[in-house]
Amino acid sequence: MSELRDARLSRVQFFRMMGGLAVAAAAAACSTKPETTGSVSQGTQLRFVGVADQKAPMDELVAAYKQARPGVTLATSFAPTDQVQTSVRTQLGAGNAPDLHVVYPGSGSAMSMTQIAGAGLLADLSDQAWTRTIPTGFKPAFQKDGKTYIYSAGSSVIGAIYNKKVFQEAGIDGPPTTWTEFLALCDKLKKAGTTPIALGAQTPWVTQLITYALVPSTVYAKDPAFDDKQAAGQASFAQSGWREAMDMYLELQKRGFFNDKPNGTTFEQQISMVATGKAAMAVQVSAVLPDFRKAASSPDDLSMFPLPGADDAAQVWIPAGVVVGLGAGAKGKNLAEAKAFIDFLGKQENINRWAKAIAAIPLTQDASSTIDPAVQSFLPFTKDKAVPFMDQRWPNAEVQPVHFAVIQDLLAGKIKVDEALKKMDEAYAK
Amino acid sequence: MTMTATRAGTTARRRPGRRRIATLSPSWLFAAPALVVYAAVVLYPSVAGTLYAFTDWSGIGADRSFIGLENFRAMLHDDQAMGSIGNTLLLTVAVVVVQNGVGLLLALGVHAKLRSRALLRVVFFAPVVVSPVMVAFLWKYIYNPDPSAGLNGLLGLRVDWLGDPSLALWSIAGTVVWQYAGYSMVIFLAGLEGVPKELHEAAMIDGAGAWQRFRYVTWPLLAPAVTVNLMLSTIGGLKLFDQVFAATNGGPGYATETLSTVLYKQAFVFGKFGYSTAVALVLAIFVAAVSLVQIHYTRGREVAQ
Repeated sequence: MSELRDARLSRVQFFRMMGGLAVAAAAAACSTKPETTGSVSQGTQLRFVGVADQKAPMDELVAAYKQARPGVTLATSFAPTDQVQTSVRTQLGAGNAPDLHVVYPGSGSAMSMTQIAGAGLLADLSDQAWTRTIPTGFKPAFQKDGKTYIYSAGSSVIGAIYNKKVFQEAGIDGPPTTWTEFLALCDKLKKAGTTPIALGAQTPWVTQLITYALVPSTVYAKDPAFDDKQAAGQASFAQSGWREAMDMYLELQKRGFFNDKPNGTTFEQQISMVATGKAAMAVQVSAVLPDFRKAASSPDDLSMFPLPGADDAAQVWIPAGVVVGLGAGAKGKNLAEAKAFIDFLGKQENINRWAKAIAAIPLTQDASSTIDPAVQSFLPFTKDKAVPFMDQRWPNAEVQPVHFAVIQDLLAGKIKVDEALKKMDEAYAK
Repeated sequence: MTMTATRAGTTARRRPGRRRIATLSPSWLFAAPALVVYAAVVLYPSVAGTLYAFTDWSGIGADRSFIGLENFRAMLHDDQAMGSIGNTLLLTVAVVVVQNGVGLLLALGVHAKLRSRALLRVVFFAPVVVSPVMVAFLWKYIYNPDPSAGLNGLLGLRVDWLGDPSLALWSIAGTVVWQYAGYSMVIFLAGLEGVPKELHEAAMIDGAGAWQRFRYVTWPLLAPAVTVNLMLSTIGGLKLFDQVFAATNGGPGYATETLSTVLYKQAFVFGKFGYSTAVALVLAIFVAAVSLVQIHYTRGREVAQ
């Protein structure tokens, strides 16, 4: 007891000790400082925050960059779309943006090139060689006011991912080329006892894909300048082929071509239904082909065909959108190094590698470019019968979520097509 | 001369300060460090954040301007925000009533002299410690619309639990009740432990049956536990986010949109940070008002008994 009392510190001793500790800590901080700066000069660490779809190509290319430029390391992290949108926007708002981060092409989302570049938070990449080869049709997705702010390795298409085995068992020879043929094909599958189309409409972004697949034929094949007219207020969703596309969507439901209760079915369940042969196909974006292949017993079981949205094969157009890309923070401390990494990604061989990892069509092509056999059937369309994903030209981030919600309501029979299109027009006008 | 004057001045000035410290009660002095941290970490950011409710800030960039009450006016015409208030209230009422009802029954059950009661208490409380997001994902599987899977398979039903707009909100309420009934149970259990045995014995001697003993002895003495449970579950219900976000993301359509999911979407999906802050402010005031009214009434009941 007395020992304890002796050991007790007087207040003065206590403060003296604390002061000593503070001095020691400060000294330690000073002495370590030169070391830290030393390590920076030896090697820069870049921070990248991306969306989950980018993990496969980024892992491969970060490893390659390590060899090409050993002094620079990249710390990467990935999250699903919703989370990445939250965390990157928060970091951008707080002023501590990562050196490199995911950016969506065009204008229709809160993380889109137009919105972030508009806030002055993306570095201009226009001085890099690869930007001069961006195909004209894709420029709106990459550029704002003539300057390039986003890197993307190419484009993906939306169409029907189908299980070849199931098609064979139902006696189907080849993909359909018109809407009537497509309906007949679905009918045949249904009679053979298979769900023709798996639809995972509980996952919001999945809801939009069937409209996106049809609208190029019902809207843009008739009026390629629809986007410009809509932006000028001369066209609307309600007074266009969007109505036809939604009617066609609902016709598929009315004929019983979807799985039971699509609003309660998730994207993951959709994948598993097609991969295991419970359903014959799913209207999806080619970027998720690797996910379907992973779930299938043999990756060769799966292929894709363009969804024909018109009864005249010559009027069938397809959606081909620039895949999600990345940009460099305009205010990053390591801006030069961050831009150097993007320049590296812009080399043709690296565009090829990125595109291959996500089954995309490379932005520019050379002899060594490979195109996934599953998307070969889309190539004849890409030159002059393809339009970017619709949201890439929408003026704000609200139209797309409204599209998700009205499709779910339409599938649930809660609203009619008129009301759905009216809501989308209202969101567009905001 | 100047030195002396200054020194004298300082001492003169110091004295009343010392006296003031001396008159402060020691409890305030002990609380001071925590209060400073609380003010810096909670109060200051909250008040500073509130100011954004009166701007049109997008959440990124420096571009913002003061727009007065415009955001609040816009909210009145926003179908999604107004609809979400209705959903939030329905969800809260359902959760408060069912969660506390089930919690009370569980508490009465495991308060009885069962051999396995210790184990049962742990089992019923277990879901509380799991992350709400995990619970929501788990229930997404249980609510599989496939007639051969999950709850449908078990009950032989063909119900679209999360995909039917008229049912999805109640399915989510079910998830919340499943997770937090154990929490209410623990609080009721603490209340039950505090009911004196003598009162029960006296009531028994007077010929009271099990129901009468519950109605006239246990229930009035449980009043403090009821107050706490009602308040906690109401607050929890009003600001429900995780389960809704993970299970349906507000869908199908807008059927399960709550105030919390709306404010999240406005800020991070639509890029309307100012508007989102206005919604958050309304939510905070709403929660505070409801809680105060509720406390007033339930406390009144405690005093009356």
